[in-house]
Amino acid sequence: MNKRIPALVWNRKLQLSFRLVLGIAFIYASIHKIIYPGKFAQIIYGYGLFPCELINITAILLPFLEFFSGLFLVIGIYKESAALIINIMLAVFISAISINLIRGHEFDCGCFSVEITGYDLSSVHLLLRDIVFLLMGVHLFITGSKDDDN
Amino acid sequence: MLTAKNFKMPLEVWNHQPASHMEKDRRKPIMERQNKIIKEVSIITGLSIMAGFLINYFSPNGISYIGSWDTASGVITAKAKNDAVVREREIMDVKTVKQIFDTGKAVFIDARPCKEYENGHIKGAISFPAAQFDERIEIFLSNYPPSISIVTYCSGRECRDSHELAQMLIDSGFSETRVFIDGYPTWKKEGYPIE
Repeated sequence: MNKRIPALVWNRKLQLSFRLVLGIAFIYASIHKIIYPGKFAQIIYGYGLFPCELINITAILLPFLEFFSGLFLVIGIYKESAALIINIMLAVFISAISINLIRGHEFDCGCFSVEITGYDLSSVHLLLRDIVFLLMGVHLFITGSKDDDN
Repeated sequence: MLTAKNFKMPLEVWNHQPASHMEKDRRKPIMERQNKIIKEVSIITGLSIMAGFLINYFSPNGISYIGSWDTASGVITAKAKNDAVVREREIMDVKTVKQIFDTGKAVFIDARPCKEYENGHIKGAISFPAAQFDERIEIFLSNYPPSISIVTYCSGRECRDSHELAQMLIDSGFSETRVFIDGYPTWKKEGYPIE
């Protein structure tokens, strides 16, 4: 399958760039959430999409899933699986933002900081950014096994 | 002696077995990749679960596994270890707050940002945004004795600023501080005095 991937798409430098961008972004996004799980739980509540019973557990575990997936992507261990987990998370984030945009529900995404003040990215910008991240993640997942083949 | 019956088995082997082997060979890398991914995803997930529960347990900001997200029971909270939301301080009934207001003995404090205060607030309330506590507490201490009764409020049961301000005021010595949890929107809706 990998032989069919054009050389331009499978490019070691491109793959490394995507890994670093996605990995650092996810590690950075997880730090505040890990330090302040209560504030992150309030942001999850603000989405208005999750059952109340799952909000706290999600606030406790999701930041660590972001952190370890980002970390493994940066250091290059389990990078294919880390990219898969990040893609699943991004798909959930994109769905949540899209649903709230469609129904006109405003919220703070909590993506990079749990501080409500000073966070000025609109939902549309967040959506576009997450779509770009998802494209990077899909690229990493598809080309991820190439290194192992060589 | 060669008969059709004798040739049956070798022909079957010739026709089917190699094809079956080829199929297996083709599937092998896919299966190996799937197994590898399942194993790695399990490791990352397991590591995240262990670290999540462990750090939440030891962190001073740790939260309970189930929060209080039903506004019917008061201001929403994740029930953190150092949580400012204390149910005993909450006044749930707006009529009780009006009675306190009518006595004129309590100081009403608006914990919302200044801009929201300027757009409308409970009559006579002073502006003290929770986020600006450090800058304003000295002036407040010089104007009010710790013995006064205080009622803090913000914009409703999904807003925690009134609780956070109340906690900081109590820590500064104002022990008679309570929280009007329905805040300005309900007060205004009831037609009570605003300015």
